[in-house]
Amino acid sequence: MTRIFVFTNHKGGVGKSTSATNTAFGIASMLRRAGAPNARVLLIDTDSQAHATLVTTGTKDFGADDSLYSVLMADRQNAAQTLLNCIVQSTWDENLHVLPASPMLEGAERELMGIAGAPYRLADPLSRIANRYAAIVIDTRPSFSLMTEMGLIAATDAIVPVEPRYLETVGLMSVIGKINDIREGWRIQNLRVSGILVTKMNSRIRGHNHLLNELKGHTVLGKLLVGVIPSNEAVSYAHQNHLSIFSYDPKAPASKAYAQFVGKLVQRIAQGGA
Amino acid sequence: MPPKNQTHRIDELLGSVTEELLLGNPQQFEDHTLRVERLLLEMVRPDPVQPRRVLPEQLHFAFHGNRLTPTQALKELVQLVQVAARQRGRPFNNVLELLPNPDDESDEEQTVHLSPEEQLLHDLVNLAITIRDDGQVNPLTVVDVSQGVTQQFRIETGERRYWATWLLRDFVPGYTGDGMIPCIIIPAERSSVFRQAKENTARSGLSAIAMARQAALLLLTVHGYQIPDTAVSNDFYRQALNLDLRGKREYTEAILSAMGGVDKARFSRLKALLQLSDEALELADRHNIDEKKLRYVLSLPSEYHVEIVRQIIDFGLSSKQVQDLCRGDSDDNDKAEQGEKPSPSAIKIAKVTQAINATSAQDIARALLLQEGDANMARARIQALYKLLLETERFLSSG
Repeated sequence: MTRIFVFTNHKGGVGKSTSATNTAFGIASMLRRAGAPNARVLLIDTDSQAHATLVTTGTKDFGADDSLYSVLMADRQNAAQTLLNCIVQSTWDENLHVLPASPMLEGAERELMGIAGAPYRLADPLSRIANRYAAIVIDTRPSFSLMTEMGLIAATDAIVPVEPRYLETVGLMSVIGKINDIREGWRIQNLRVSGILVTKMNSRIRGHNHLLNELKGHTVLGKLLVGVIPSNEAVSYAHQNHLSIFSYDPKAPASKAYAQFVGKLVQRIAQGGA
Repeated sequence: MPPKNQTHRIDELLGSVTEELLLGNPQQFEDHTLRVERLLLEMVRPDPVQPRRVLPEQLHFAFHGNRLTPTQALKELVQLVQVAARQRGRPFNNVLELLPNPDDESDEEQTVHLSPEEQLLHDLVNLAITIRDDGQVNPLTVVDVSQGVTQQFRIETGERRYWATWLLRDFVPGYTGDGMIPCIIIPAERSSVFRQAKENTARSGLSAIAMARQAALLLLTVHGYQIPDTAVSNDFYRQALNLDLRGKREYTEAILSAMGGVDKARFSRLKALLQLSDEALELADRHNIDEKKLRYVLSLPSEYHVEIVRQIIDFGLSSKQVQDLCRGDSDDNDKAEQGEKPSPSAIKIAKVTQAINATSAQDIARALLLQEGDANMARARIQALYKLLLETERFLSSG
């Protein structure tokens, strides 16, 4: 079964899009280097701001006919075909494919509200093409909206990027609780919280170190910690140049940390287990 | 800030992590097994060069020329059959009406002669209902021909099941499936025209014309011809008429085996069928006419091919009868070409015209039956004579 990683946190600016895009690219690159017969990775951008779309494709001019919006609006029978038609190749790597977001997604939530089966409008067509990909990565918007719910219902692994700050870590439990609510409420047995990714870590700040240590020492959260990404200016510059962090500056600390994190995910993909 | 010029170092970074991951087991990502996966119907396409064609020729070319979607192609087929059915006084609105009525105990169904298109639709509906009731137990074999973001799989075997699934999805009421079809996926580099040929020839019902195309495809492949990925005309297959097994002895055994274990002589006879005219090829393919009958047609000039094939179909002629029919025609053609003097057959027929008042239609019918020993053959002779007389009249009129 194809692993579908969703990066979610209702707090904004924690590095969801950065982590999702670099993870998708990293998985595709590592699988190709490892000689995997299928190294294709699909990145799905569910955030109407379309930042992940912009940096991976160089444009965010996607609209009603060629973005996730059209998939959500398609009738059930044609949704999978529409999804296939909307996928574009990333400028980063030929094996990285992108289902772009559009500002129209904002309206889609309102349009779909109250329509029966609306939360499954991404999961249903995605399940029909998922086996064509080695992995799928979903970027979500910074809120627990219908669009985020759709991403979680479609996913197998939720990864929660979090900054090592007090309020963010306090909110972490509520994010995990919300994911579990979706898992139980919609009976999505495949979905689980499979990682906490600490981002923007600055080891010179005492508070960051303190919170990271607390996280590591926590009986449950400590086991979920899958990576610590240092705060690094190279990340912003990579965005500005529409490049992955690996391509922009492979020697940057953030590149190395993301490579280690991606490596863990690739291992899970290869092993097919937890 | 501009990007740092360190692109080669990305390989070092990701490469080192990949090596760590592999942990001395570099094969863990490699997968050479054949996979069975459920694929979205839209991702799967029939092979345009497949010798065994399912759709009638016109629809085959329109579909592979992307002028028709699968649903539109089936809709055209259904409409074609609906017209034929209405003309026979057996109209239907829903394809399910084509299935035999279990409450109807009369044997009328068995006596109805179906056209190839009607037979095809009947077979597809039957297959669709089997898939609906019992599931698709036999996966299709497909070749992964995906490029970039376009994910596509070319059918190596199982085109009928593909069409039956579309029929089930779009034409059979109450379909509750998810539009997916189970497929054995073969990587593009392992696709084999020989395997496809074996699968084709192992099944009964492959027409002689399809076998001829298959023979041509194998010959063209081993001679290094580029096999296109679009629908091809008969001229593409006819290129094989100039090729033979002698040029590629190392492949002879594999080719003959892929053709179902035929001998060289049969292989050559099958390949020779590609000399038939386009119309004759299409008719012979649709009506599944035997090679034994068609081989005699080849002795005639190509403009007569379709007429003789039509007579084979209309009158159900045996190979012996076709041989007689073609030999007669062939002799006359040869002699007429030899010189100014009319052939003895022509003189005989001319004399007959002087005696038409001395006989009756009934007498001629009886005499023909006596001569041919078979009503169908007699009718074929009359048809041929009728055509000949019309041409003679035209010839006289033109001076």
